[in-house]
Amino acid sequence: MNDLQEQLVSEPRKVRYIWIVYLLLYALAVPWYWPEGYRGPLVLGFPLWVAVSLGAVLLLAAWTAFVIRRYWIDAEEEE
Amino acid sequence: MGGMVFGPGALIAVGLYLVSMIGVGWIARTRRRSNSMADFYLAGRSMGLLVLFLTLYATQYSGNTLFGYTGKTYRIGFEWTASVLFMFSIIVGYMLFAPRLVALARKEGFITPGDYITHRFRSSVLTLLSTILMIYALGNYALAQLKAMGAAVEGITDGAIPGSYGIIGLAIIMVIYETLGGMRSVAWTDVMQGGVLLLGFGILVFIIPQNLGGGLGQVVAQLSEMDPPKVQAPSLEGANKWISYALLLGCGAAIYPQAIQRLYASRSVAVLKRSLILMAFMPLTTTLVALICGLTAAVVLPDLSKAESDQVLARLCALVMGESALGYWLVVAIFAAVLAALMSTADSALLSISSMFTKDIYLPYFRPQATEAELTKVGKICSWVIVAVLVAVAIGTDATLVRLLELKFEILIQVVPCFFLGLYWKRLSARTALLGMVCGLAVALGFTFGGKPMIWGFHAGVIGLVVNAAVCAIGACCKPATSD
Repeated sequence: MNDLQEQLVSEPRKVRYIWIVYLLLYALAVPWYWPEGYRGPLVLGFPLWVAVSLGAVLLLAAWTAFVIRRYWIDAEEEE
Repeated sequence: MGGMVFGPGALIAVGLYLVSMIGVGWIARTRRRSNSMADFYLAGRSMGLLVLFLTLYATQYSGNTLFGYTGKTYRIGFEWTASVLFMFSIIVGYMLFAPRLVALARKEGFITPGDYITHRFRSSVLTLLSTILMIYALGNYALAQLKAMGAAVEGITDGAIPGSYGIIGLAIIMVIYETLGGMRSVAWTDVMQGGVLLLGFGILVFIIPQNLGGGLGQVVAQLSEMDPPKVQAPSLEGANKWISYALLLGCGAAIYPQAIQRLYASRSVAVLKRSLILMAFMPLTTTLVALICGLTAAVVLPDLSKAESDQVLARLCALVMGESALGYWLVVAIFAAVLAALMSTADSALLSISSMFTKDIYLPYFRPQATEAELTKVGKICSWVIVAVLVAVAIGTDATLVRLLELKFEILIQVVPCFFLGLYWKRLSARTALLGMVCGLAVALGFTFGGKPMIWGFHAGVIGLVVNAAVCAIGACCKPATSD
């Protein structure tokens, strides 16, 4: 595995704050904090609680794109 | 298929589309560079961005996304927004192991997931059990697609072509192009199929809610009056289900063998990274569309039974077809997308099963001295045998077997610690990983067959995975692997 550590300049799994952000965004995406039976106003046609979850998924996707670009660095690319 | 019947023109168009896949397979065959397993099963590790992205997309989004998810949304409403989150979670699953696995695979020349397990743990028993679990899960996955193909063909021909003939015909087309060019054929047909699938979802999101329900806002307003629970936030147990699904799919689908082999097959790490970035956004263009269609159906076609609700997409299409000639041909394109979703998932699963049988079972246990050319030939024969077996099961499955055949992720997910933990914990020994896998399986199957497939909203497979990971953690601490 030592060879691998040289091959991988950086990998997301080892950066703690990446996973803290994931945890926070997942906590936003899962609708555990709304009162049971809540609908709320419609946002772009979706009930508020659904719009918030979908917004969180969009943020999760954007965060993932950033993490892949910034923190997954293979020596092969640097060459 | 709920009265969705095509005329001769549409049937010819769909037929030509299917036959063209054999043509793609033939072209792929002419592009092969050698008779090696890496060339046949991984397209010579040469996939560029367009091919890799569309093959990942077409493979990941199956017929279940179109039919199963619309039906589920029809029954439970917005609670199935969970599907958007769990399909995204697969990409997070990759983040947990793919960078290291890909680096290792490129260095060691892995072909199958079993190659990694053998390299990491040096245990033939662990590799064999993992391979059997993965083949079982993939076999079920392919079986579900074959069964759906039969229903689709029977539906559009109004029963003139029985479902069993549809299954046999489409399976033969798949296995022909697959044996012609292996992964190259499968990936290139996936480019066609993925393109058609994207087009199909694009059409669906524009015509279904607007033409049939008067727009999404109108649909949700009506649904709020007709069936309020379908638009309301779930209970805490319902929220637990979201977490459980995210774990089940995020871990399970990320280690689907055909997905792992696509990680191996990329031309470069940069291409793979770009493909995964695109894939992270796909649930919002695909799963969300299925959700919107299911909600529209709940308003337009209320009071369907559970069995009928799995056909709501076809029923919606039948309504659109009746509106105009344009609607008719749009539905033909959607049907092509349905076939694309089914075939692209099934062919990838079949190819992956063939590679695992050949490399992880036939080579070590039957012909350790076999050449690459011989193994590739055995793999091709194996593809035909697997298709024949699966077609026979798909046509003749007894209803009592259904629960056993539905088990996929509960079983597959027990292989996860070998990847997620094995790649990072040097102290995790083969014996501990094997014990964890057996304990996880026992818990998952025990709960499932004991009549408790869900506990407090969590799937039995997820509970099994927690036990499995706990055994691995305790074993790695108390009885670590020796450094040699």
